[in-house]
Amino acid sequence: MRSATAEPANTGNPVMRVLRKIRLPLDDPFAVVGLLIYAVFFLVAIFADQLATHDPLEILFDKDYQLAADLRPLEDGFVLGTTSLGRDIYSQLIYGSRSALLIGLTAAFMVAVIGTVVGLLSGYFGGWIDILLMRAADIAFGIPFLPFVIVLAAFLEPSIWNVVLAMALILWRDTGRVIRSQVLTLRTRAYIDAARVSGSSDLKIVFRHIAPNILPLSFLYGSIAIGWAILTEAAISFLGFGDPETISWGYMLQDAYASQALSQGGYYWFVPPGICIVLVVVAGFFISRGYEEILFPKLKE
Amino acid sequence: MKKLLRTALLLAGATMATQAFAEGDKIREIKITTRPQAAQPQEFQFVQLIAQEWRKLGLDVKVDVMPWEQMADLVWYNRDKWDTTGWQMVGRPERSDPDELIYNLFHSSTAPKGYNFIGYSNPELDATVEAQRIETDPEKRQELLYKAQSILAEDQPNLMLVHPKSTFAFDKNVWDPATVVDQGGIGIKNTWSFISMEPLGEQKDIILNSSDNIQGINPLWISGGTDSWITELIWDRLLRIGPDGLPKPWAAESYNWIDEKTIEVVLRDGMMWHDGKPVTADDVKFSFEAAMGDEVPMYKPFVSNIESITTDGNKITFKLVNPTAAFLTASLAKLNIIPKHIWEPVLADLATKEDNAEDYQETTPIGSGPYKFVSWTTNEEVVLEANKDHFSPPKAERWILRIVPNTEAAIGMLRSGEINFLADFSGDPKILLDLVEQDGDLEVVSTIDMGFRYVAFNNRRPPFNDPEFRKALSYAINRDLIVGAAFRGFAVKSNSVISPALGFWHNEGVNDFKTGTDVAKSHLEKAGYTVKGGALHYPDGVKETLAE
Amino acid sequence: MLWAVATILFLMFRLMPSNPLAAYIDPTFTVEQQAALMAKFGLDRPLWEQYFIYLWNLLQGELGDSFFYRQPVGTRVLELLPNTLILTFSSLIIAYTFGIIVGAWLAWKRDTFAERAAIPLVLTTRALPEFWLGMLLLALFSFTLGWFPAGGTRSPGSEYASYFALYTSRDFLSHLVLPAMTLAIYSQGLPLLLMRSNMLEVMNEDFVTMARIKGLSSWTVVVRHAARNALLPVMTSFAIAVGYQIQGNVVVETVFSWPGLGRELVNAVSASDYPLAQGAFLMIAVVVVLMNLLADLLYTLLDPRISHA
Repeated sequence: MRSATAEPANTGNPVMRVLRKIRLPLDDPFAVVGLLIYAVFFLVAIFADQLATHDPLEILFDKDYQLAADLRPLEDGFVLGTTSLGRDIYSQLIYGSRSALLIGLTAAFMVAVIGTVVGLLSGYFGGWIDILLMRAADIAFGIPFLPFVIVLAAFLEPSIWNVVLAMALILWRDTGRVIRSQVLTLRTRAYIDAARVSGSSDLKIVFRHIAPNILPLSFLYGSIAIGWAILTEAAISFLGFGDPETISWGYMLQDAYASQALSQGGYYWFVPPGICIVLVVVAGFFISRGYEEILFPKLKE
Repeated sequence: MKKLLRTALLLAGATMATQAFAEGDKIREIKITTRPQAAQPQEFQFVQLIAQEWRKLGLDVKVDVMPWEQMADLVWYNRDKWDTTGWQMVGRPERSDPDELIYNLFHSSTAPKGYNFIGYSNPELDATVEAQRIETDPEKRQELLYKAQSILAEDQPNLMLVHPKSTFAFDKNVWDPATVVDQGGIGIKNTWSFISMEPLGEQKDIILNSSDNIQGINPLWISGGTDSWITELIWDRLLRIGPDGLPKPWAAESYNWIDEKTIEVVLRDGMMWHDGKPVTADDVKFSFEAAMGDEVPMYKPFVSNIESITTDGNKITFKLVNPTAAFLTASLAKLNIIPKHIWEPVLADLATKEDNAEDYQETTPIGSGPYKFVSWTTNEEVVLEANKDHFSPPKAERWILRIVPNTEAAIGMLRSGEINFLADFSGDPKILLDLVEQDGDLEVVSTIDMGFRYVAFNNRRPPFNDPEFRKALSYAINRDLIVGAAFRGFAVKSNSVISPALGFWHNEGVNDFKTGTDVAKSHLEKAGYTVKGGALHYPDGVKETLAE
Repeated sequence: MLWAVATILFLMFRLMPSNPLAAYIDPTFTVEQQAALMAKFGLDRPLWEQYFIYLWNLLQGELGDSFFYRQPVGTRVLELLPNTLILTFSSLIIAYTFGIIVGAWLAWKRDTFAERAAIPLVLTTRALPEFWLGMLLLALFSFTLGWFPAGGTRSPGSEYASYFALYTSRDFLSHLVLPAMTLAIYSQGLPLLLMRSNMLEVMNEDFVTMARIKGLSSWTVVVRHAARNALLPVMTSFAIAVGYQIQGNVVVETVFSWPGLGRELVNAVSASDYPLAQGAFLMIAVVVVLMNLLADLLYTLLDPRISHA
C-alpha cells in the first residue's frame, strides 16, 4: 500500500520514467543530426504513397507500348529515370525507406530486447542461468554472422525478414555481454540491497531498479544494430539471396549491378540507394555516439 | 436487356437453371516460377511481363522466385505440384540434330521421369516423332518434322518465346576478325574459333572469361557448361559438329554406312596422345566400350544403341541395334576419345569401389586434342597450351580461361585487355554495342541460338490441361515486346523448338499468329471461359479441383 | 565450442527443403542411379546416423566430398584459405596502421576543426556498404583510370616457382590493392576511434602531465608516452577484427573475383553443396573462434584487473 501511493509522486508514470531514462541525447550536435536524418526518412516512409510517382514494381510503358526502360533522369518525367525493366527509380528509392526502417528498427528492437533480457537474467541471477546463457553467447560469437545469414536466406524463402531473424539469433551476443557486466556492477549498489531488504521480489528489483538504468545501453546497441541490419540486407541482396518482390535499397543496388548500370554509366541508378543507406546507417552511429557520451562522459572532457 | 432477361430467368426457375448449367468456378491463383534476377535477368524480366499480361485476362497470378536448385527440384521431381515456369533449353553442338529436342521434350514416354516434365501427351505427335527418328532420307524426315512442329503449334504445350542471340565479343586488335568462326546456332565461342583465331600482334594467348567455376576436367563426365569448353579442346572425337551444324570427320579420316545398321570409321594416321604415345583404333574402341560399361553413367545413353564394336587395323566398325538418323551427331560426335593406357587401370580400380569415373580427376589430363593441359588454379584459371603436333594445330599459343563471377568486372577486363575474348556474358548485349562505339578495339558478334526460352505449362494440371486455355495464355503475349524488353532485340521470336538456326528442319509456317490481350480474351470467351467481377472463371460445369 | 557450431551447421543444412541432388538433374539419370547417388553421399540413412557419421568424420579432419566438384572438401577449402587470410590480414594491417596514426593525431588535435570534421567522416566510412564501395573503386581505379587490374590474384597464365614468389610478386600485389583497400577503408574506423579515445584517457593521466611539465614538446609527449600506453588495447582488438573481417570478405571476394573462402561458401550454398558449404563455413568459424580466444588471452595478459575465475 505504502509504496503504491508513494510512487507517482516520486517517479511519475512508468512511460515517462522510461522516456526519461532513455535520455535522447539532445545536447550532442551529431546525435541531433542523426535524429533529424531519421525524422526525414520516417516522414518519407510514412508518406511514401503520396511522394512516389509510380508503383515501384510496375513495369512502365510509353505511349507506343514500348518498354520505358533505361531512361535518364528527367526523361519523360521520371525524376531519377527508370531501371532496365522500366520501373521508376525515384519511386523505388522512396519505398525503399520503408523496408530500410522496417528492417532496421525491428532488428534493432530484437537485438536490444533479447540482449537486454539475456544480460539482465544472466547478470542478476548468476549461477547456472548465467553459465548457460554465457555459453550460448560464446557459441553465438563462434558463428560467423554474414555466412550464417547467407545459409539462412538460402533455405528460407527469400525475404527481408531473414536478416532480422538472423540478427535476433546471433547479434544479441554483444548486447547481452555488455549488459551483463553492467548489471553485475549495479547489483552491488546500495539501493538494490535496500530494495531487497525491504522485501521486493527479484522480478520487481530487476525491472524496477536495474532495467531502467541499463536502458540507454540497450539503446546504444540498438542504434548500432539498425545500421548493421540495413548493411546486411544490402549485402545479402547483392549476393542474390534477397527478396525480389520487396523493394529495398539493397535490392535496387543489386538490380543496378545485375543490369550493368556501372558499364552503362547509370550513376543516377547506382549512387542514390547507396547514399540513402549511408545516411541512415551513419545516423544510427551518430545517435549511438550521443549515447556513448552520456554513458561514458569522460570521453567528452 | 440481356441482364434483364437473365434476372427474369433466374426469378422464374433459378434452381433448375443452376442445376443444368452449373457455373464454372473461379480459377485459382496461378503460380509462375522463375529464377532470381541476379542469376537470370532475362527470364526474370519476361516472367514479370507475362504475369502482368495474364493479370489483364482476369487471372490471379503470383510470381514465385527461387534459385535454380529449388526450381529444378519442384519442376523435375514434383511434376504435379507446379503451374507454369520460366524455362530454357541451351544450344549445344549435339543438339544440331532436331531429334534430341523434339522427341525428348514431347514424346509421352518421357513424361513420367524424362524430359517431358510438362506431361504433354498426344498419340499423333508420338507417332510422328518416332517415324522421323528412323527415317534416314532427309527430305522425308523434313516432312515429318514439319508435321510435328505444326501439331505442337496447334496444341501449344508450352508458351514458346524466343531463340536468343548468343553474343560474344573479342579484341580485334589482338585477333584477326577474319579468322573467328561463327558457328550456326552456337556463336563465335566454339572450338573452331579457338583453333583458327590468328594473333595480329605480340599477344598470342586467348584469354577468356567464365562466370562459373570449373567443376572438373574429365572426358567421361558431362559436368558444368564451362567444363565442356575445356574437354572439347583437350580431347578429340571421331566427328565434330562443323560450323554449318553438320557432323564432319575429325579424328576419323572418313566414315561409311555399310548398311543401315553398320557403320565403318577409318581413324586418322599419326595422331599422338599428349604424353607421346600413339592413338590407336584400340583406344577408340576402348572409349566407346568404357561408356557402355557401368562406370560412366552420363555417357551411357549415347552408346546404348551400339551392339558391338570391332577393329581391323585403323578401321573401326560399329554395329547398331536399331537404325537411327542421329547416330553420327549423338554418338560419334559426342564421345571423347580417351587413352586406354591411362583409363583402363583407373576404371578397373573404380569398378571395385562405390565411386565411378565422375569422381576421378586426373592431375594432368591427357588427351590428343588441339590443346594440352598446363595448369588449373582453383576458382581462378585454367591454362592450356597449343598442341603444335596436332593435325589441326591452333594458331594461338595458349588458351587461358579466367573465372570472373562479376559481369561488370568482365566488361572492364575486356576493355583493359586483361581478357581478350568475352566468352560468357549474361548481361544486356546493348551495353556491348555501346562499348564498341566508345572503344574501337572491340568486335561484337551475335548469333541466333539453337537454344530457346519459354514458359512451360504443366499440362497435367487444370486449367492448363485445356489446349484452348493454353493457347489463349500464349496469344496474350506479344513476342515482339518480349524480344524488345527482356532481350533488348537480341533474340528472334519463336514458336518452335527447332531453331531457325537449323534452317533445313525449321518450319517457318508455325510462326504466324496474332497476339494481344484482345485476341486472348476473345479466344477464352469462345472456349467458354467467363469473367465475373474481374476474375476469370472456368467454362460452365467445370470445378476448381486444385484450390488450396 | 566448435562442436556446437558444427552441430548447428549440420542441422541447418540437413533441414533445408530442397533436394540436394536436384543440382544434378540430367535426362540420363535413372531412378537407380539417383538412389545410388543418395546412398553414396549417405543421404538415405536416418538423420541421427548421418549426424554421428558427420561428427566422427569431423574428428578425423575429414570434411567429406563436395557434391558439386566430386573432390574432397578439405583440399579445396585449404587451397582457398591462404587467399582469404592474405586479403584479411593485409587489409587489417593497412587499416590499423592508418587508424592508429590518425587516431593519435586526432586526439592530439582535439577540439580543432580538423577533428570535428574527421569524426563524422570516419563514421561514414563505416556506414558504406562494402560491395558498393568496392564497385565504385573498381569503376574509378580500374575501369576509368586503368591503374589496377579488375580481378583475380595474378595475371592470366603467370607462373611462379613458389607461393612465396607469388605472394611477393609485383603482379600479385597490384591485384591485391583494390580489394584490400576496400576492406581497409571499411575497417580503419575501429582502430582509429579506439586509439583516439584511449589517447584522450591516457593524456589526462599524471605521467603525461609530468612529461609536459618537464617541457617536452607536445607531439613528443604524444608519441613517446601517451601513444605507447594507448596502443595496447587497440592491438588486442586486432584479433577480434580478424574474426569480423574474415566473415565480411564474402562480398568483396565476389566483387573482385578473388578466389577465397567466402565466395566458395556463396557458390556452395547456391548449389546446395552441403559438404562444401559446411567445410567453408567451419573453416571460417575456426578462424573466428581462434581469434576470439587469442583476444581473450591478450586481454587477460595485458589487463591484470580481469581475472578468469
